[in-house]
This record gives sequence, C-alpha cells and structure tokens, in this order.
Amino acid sequence: MYFYAAPKSTPAPTSLDEVDPELLAMYDKLGIPLKEREILAGVERPNVAVDAVMDSVSVVTTFREELAKVGIIFCSISEAIREHAELVQKYLGSVVPVTDNYYATLNSAVFTDGSFVYIPKGVRCPMELSTYFRINEKKTGQFERTLIIAEDDSYVSYLEGCTAPMRDESQLHAAVVELVALENAEIKYSTVQNWYPGDKDGKGGIYNFVTKRGDCRGDNSKISWTQVETGSAITWKYPSCILRGDNSRGEFYSIAISNGYQQVDSGTKMIHLGKNTSSRIIAKGIAAGFSDNTYRGQVSAHAKAKGARNFTQCDSLLIGDKCGAHTVPYIESRNATAVFEHEATTSKISDDQMFYCQQRGLDGEAAVALIVNGFVRDVLQHLPMEFMVESQKLIAISLEGSVG
Amino acid sequence: MMLKSKMPVRLNAAEETLIAQLRDAGDGAQAERLNVTGLPTRRVESYHYTDLKMLLKAVPPLVEAANSASAPALRVAGAYQLLIANGVPHPGTTAPAGVIVGTSDGAALSAHDDVLVRLNSALAKKSLSLTLEGSVDPIIQIDRRTEGAAAHSASSARIFVADNGSATILETYSGSSEAHVTNNASYIAVGRNATVTHITVDLSGDGVTHFATNEYVLAEGAKLRTLAIHAGSALARTQIFARFAGEGAHGDFGGLNLVGDGQHLDFTLDVNHGVPNTTSQEMFKQVGRGRSKGVFQGKIVVARDAQKTDAKMMMQGLMLSDQAEILSKPELEIYADDVVCGHGSTCGELDADSMFYLMSRGISKPEAETMLVRGFLEEVLDPIEDDELNEALTAVIDDWLVGAKQR
Repeated sequence: MYFYAAPKSTPAPTSLDEVDPELLAMYDKLGIPLKEREILAGVERPNVAVDAVMDSVSVVTTFREELAKVGIIFCSISEAIREHAELVQKYLGSVVPVTDNYYATLNSAVFTDGSFVYIPKGVRCPMELSTYFRINEKKTGQFERTLIIAEDDSYVSYLEGCTAPMRDESQLHAAVVELVALENAEIKYSTVQNWYPGDKDGKGGIYNFVTKRGDCRGDNSKISWTQVETGSAITWKYPSCILRGDNSRGEFYSIAISNGYQQVDSGTKMIHLGKNTSSRIIAKGIAAGFSDNTYRGQVSAHAKAKGARNFTQCDSLLIGDKCGAHTVPYIESRNATAVFEHEATTSKISDDQMFYCQQRGLDGEAAVALIVNGFVRDVLQHLPMEFMVESQKLIAISLEGSVG
Repeated sequence: MMLKSKMPVRLNAAEETLIAQLRDAGDGAQAERLNVTGLPTRRVESYHYTDLKMLLKAVPPLVEAANSASAPALRVAGAYQLLIANGVPHPGTTAPAGVIVGTSDGAALSAHDDVLVRLNSALAKKSLSLTLEGSVDPIIQIDRRTEGAAAHSASSARIFVADNGSATILETYSGSSEAHVTNNASYIAVGRNATVTHITVDLSGDGVTHFATNEYVLAEGAKLRTLAIHAGSALARTQIFARFAGEGAHGDFGGLNLVGDGQHLDFTLDVNHGVPNTTSQEMFKQVGRGRSKGVFQGKIVVARDAQKTDAKMMMQGLMLSDQAEILSKPELEIYADDVVCGHGSTCGELDADSMFYLMSRGISKPEAETMLVRGFLEEVLDPIEDDELNEALTAVIDDWLVGAKQR
C-alpha cells in the first residue's frame, strides 16, 4: 500500500468537457450544482471558497484573495506550514496529540496535506469555507489533516465533502481534524461523507477511521458538528468537543445511514471541563440491508464542571430484518450540579406510515425516502443550505434497493 | 492489522492468591487462564467502570466452615429461612408445602465469559438446590453469610420454579465485619407461566468485597420481577444475566444503588431477548453520597429473530455530594427490526424548586433532603406487594438515609 499518491500534473482543464467523466458522474450523483462542479474541477472561479484535496494533496484552493482582505487565511496545510509556521507550530497537534490513537499517530506520521483555516480576532467569515476530499489512485490511503483556528469573537462555517470512485480493494482514509475555538468564537463544521461503500456483496469500499476533535478553549465559545454519513465500508468516527472554557457549548448533529454490508460506528464525545458548559447531541441512525449501525458516545462532566448540562437523543430506524442498530452511550457524571439526560429509541418504519404514503401514489422507495427524510429532519436543518439539498438526495440514493 | 502485541500480564498480589486458590481447588485450567489474562481492567468492556485489577487489592484465604451463625441481617415476618454459611448450604428441616430443598454438587451458573462466574464455578463446592411447585405462600429467604476471620468464599444456589408456580425469594448477604471477598451465584429457572419475585439485598460490612451473579432463564409466559439492593460493602458488583427462552415472557428488573462515602457499587445487566414476543422493563436508581462511585451498565440484546420485542430501560441517578460519581452505560444491541426498544438515563442533584417548596413550609434543610431522596428511592419498592417484605426493604432505605449505614 502507498501512503499517498500525488495527482498527476496535467494542465488545468479549461471547460467541464475536459474533466474526467468518472469524476463528473460522482458529482452528478451527489447533486453538486454545475457551477460548483466547475470549481471543483478547477475550471472557473467560485463563489464558495473551496479547497479540494485529492489523494492527500491539496490541488486547488479558491477565493483566497477575497478572504485575505479580512485577514482570513484559507490554504492547504503544506502552504500554511511554509508561510504561517508560527500558527501551525502553536496549534497543530494541540487538540489531537500524536499519541492519541493508532490512526491519529499514523496520520501524524505520514500526512502530506490538508486544509488550514485561520480566522482572526473579531472576524465573521463572510462565506462558507469548503473542502472536497477525493481518493483517485488505486491502493492508496488518504491521510489529510485539517486545522481550523477561530480567534476571539470570530465565526466560521466549514463544509467538508468526501467521495471516492469504485474500487475492488479496500482503501484507508485516516484523517485528523483539529478545531480550536477561542473566547466567544464559534465554529460550525459540517460533513457530508460519501466514500465508496463497497459493492452489493460488501467487496471493496473505504475504511473511514477519522479522528475529529474540537477544543472550546475560550470562554463562551461554541463548536458545532453536523455530519451526514452515508458512504464507507467501515466508519469509525467520533467528532468530539472538549468544553474547556466556561459557558462553552458543544453540539453534535448526526445522520448515519448504512446499507448493504456497511458498518457504521459513530458518535461523539462531550467532555465537560469548564463551568456552565452545555452540550446537545442528536443522532439519527438508519440501518438497512445487512448493515450494522452503532451510536457510541461519551458525555462526561469533570469534578470542576459546575452546572454542566447535556441532552442526548439517539434514534435508530431499522429497515429490513437482516440489519442491526446499536446504542452504546457512556455517561459519566463527576459533579453533583451536572444535569445529564439521555434517551434512545429503536424502531422500524411502521406499516401505517408506508401504507399512507403508498396509498397516495408513492412507490415503496420514494415512500421510504420521504419517511426517512422526515425522521432525520431535526439534523438536516442544521446543515448549511447547499448541503441540505445534496443530503436529501444522498439519503434517497443510499437507501436504493433497501425496500422490496 | 497488528494493533497490539501480546504482552505477558504482570500479576498483582490478589491475582496471585486467586491463581493459587484455583490450583488448590483442583481447577488448573482456570488457574492457567487467570495466569494469562489477569483480572479484567477497564479495557475489558464489561468492567469499564469497575477495574477489578485495580480495585481488588488483596484476596483473603479460602473460607473455612462456620462454627456458628448469628441472626439474619434482615427479618421478614413469616419467611421460610434457609442458610448458606461460609459457602456451605444448610437446607432447613421442615420445608413448607411445595418446597423441595436439597443440595447438589458443584456450582449453579451456566458458562459465561466472565471472571466472576468462572471463579464461582471453580470454587463453589455445593449449591443449595430448591424446587418450588405450585403457589408457594411464605417468602423463601436465603440468608447468605460469611462469618469468622476475613475469608474468600463462594456460594451458590439453584432454584427451579415449576410451570404455573409462583414464589417470592429474598436473598440477603451479610456476616462478620471483616474484609471478606464473597462471590455469590443464583441460577433461577422460571417455568412456563410461572410468576417469580426475586430480591437480593447486600448488607455486608464496611470492608467487604461483594460479588453476586444472578442468572435467570424465562420459559414461555413466565413473569419475573427482580430487585437488587446494594446497601453495604466497600466494593460490590451484582451481575444480572437474564435470558428469554420462551415467547410471551415478561421481566421487570429493578435495582437500587445506595452508595455512601468510600464505596464503589456496580450493577451490570445483560438482558437477552432471544425469542419473539417478549417484553422487559428495567428500572435502576442510584444515589451517591460522600466520595463514592455508582456504576450502572445495562445492555439489552435483541436477537435476529426476536421480533415484537418491547424493552425499556431507565437509569436515574441522584448526586448528594460534590465528590459522588455516577457512571452509566445503557446499551441497546438490536438485530431484529420489528421491535420497540428504548432507554433513558438521567442524573443530577436534588431539585432546587422542590427543596424551596418544602423549606418554605418550615421543614429543615436536612429533613427536606431526606424526604425528597426517600421519595426518589422508594418508588422502586412500589411494585413489591407483600407488605411485610415492602416494610423490611423500606427499612433498609431508611437506615441508609438516617445514617445507620452512612459513612
């Protein structure tokens, strides 16, 4: 296995016609708007700042000048290491230490590129920042690194999308994402993950072992994770918040859909360290086919976390009798004034709901997509507009073939 | 993928004693196994919050037969009493109608991949054996005690409740106030359409390490209610393994963790819905005082074909001190689609509004606190219909509240 493969340097395409049709088909399936597709393929200047990372190498970062005017740095991490060494030195590895876990160590050892975002004090990022990750080469792993720093009183919304073409072999994606929110800062991080999940017999697919962690370092800071997980053969992913600053807030909204032979094991960690910290977890899992879908999450209050507050809701939906849905929460309260609430339910789509939809002329698959979209609505509405539409389509695509 | 290399386990004093005791008991295989694995640490999922390797500092010598036994720790008027003293069952002489008492060789539990079960099965020489037929009127009380000098004892009971039968079984654990390690096992098979209430109360002394494994097998249409109360010991862990083996069975599993200063008390629950059309409800409450740890791990497993399962689990924790910890892990593991399963887990401190309400009516702060905690805890006893039994259990809670057991 190669650790990384640099994309072959071909001249930039001048129009969409010159772009790899396989790539376009993938964007098409994702429902990415034409304009954005051109941007991703490097054709035209976009209105959303995009950093595309293919095979671990950042190939294109757009809109930089406009962002630089307000002092925002948005570039590939390799560039950041060259040009903003003092920031990278100060923050890289401060949220996810090199020894954190096996895959974080692997990433730290071999990562070649990724995205770097720095929002200076008092700046509200005027546009959504976005990264597209793609594995093109055969037999490669992708190890990218993302570092986002939000200084005091700043705000940024960051989107991340992942795709990979079909391959027979399994490929590894072991990324590390670090977020640092200082006083009064807010970071909103949204992911739509659609790595190749393997074929109908469970052959191939991406192993998605990602370490994502945000550190609410300053008082009154906020980090919000929203994720739509539909792809990958195996997903182990637990975007976490360390609520260090007083009154800081962590949020986690997740939709995880598994079909075929996929295995999804995802959730979050909310570590309450500061006073009056609060967190909210809404996780929706949908299992179909022969898949297993697990929510695994931890909520803990340190002895000093006076007045910590958590609300967790995990709902699972089972489609078919060959799949499994599991919930494994760890709830650790070490402070009497901490108030934690957790609830979880598991059920299936009721016959009544299906009958109601089908009676009104929807076919089985459309009915399931409609009901599932309703089931995940609480989470969808936390996604930025562009992603919301894509995600609804993605949900319908992911559940293709699950009814019948 | 190579993640970890197999490193030999460094054994501590407790593990070495246990290995020697297993060898003495003639179970070389288990001794060898423990020699390789050691006691479970927090890396073993079912011991995540109760790291036995760290918590079990020393194991006293294996128990010798008791010379004399004092009165039972909990008295319920009219109960039929059976004694297991220092691991040795003493079947009573005059059994009430429908009760057949005896002893059998060996331990009672089925094989489980669990160190406490393996230790009990290796060390318990005889089991108390009970067969209950028809409607058994008096409460059957199994009084388990460990007397004399500090000792490691294993006791075991095997109870069969015949089809259509009904019975209430109360088990109490107590003994001399030495640093015993006791490992108790109960295997209860509930027959078709039988109704069983099984209550266990740990009233062991301050220095005791108390382990209990309660295994239940429910046949078709069986109705089981269990309640486990931790009101003693320094370190206690009650494991509840329930298996639904017949359709239409229902189980209510309850627990009360009264955790005082310096205590570490653990409930670990594994409810396995193996067949269709079964229902269960789990209700556990924990209250923590001083520097203490209350642990609840509850797992509901619904097998692939166990359609129409309805399972609801609830854990509520109340923290009365800044140094109390409540750790909870309610799990669902579901492989069937036509099911209704859920769990809830809450924890926090006493409600300030309720305190204000009571205090504004002239009730002192400690009194108001006690009232609210009592209300919180005694809810678990509501389903216990037998008045005498309910009263005795209420007294256990009250003792803890007023501080007879307070530390």
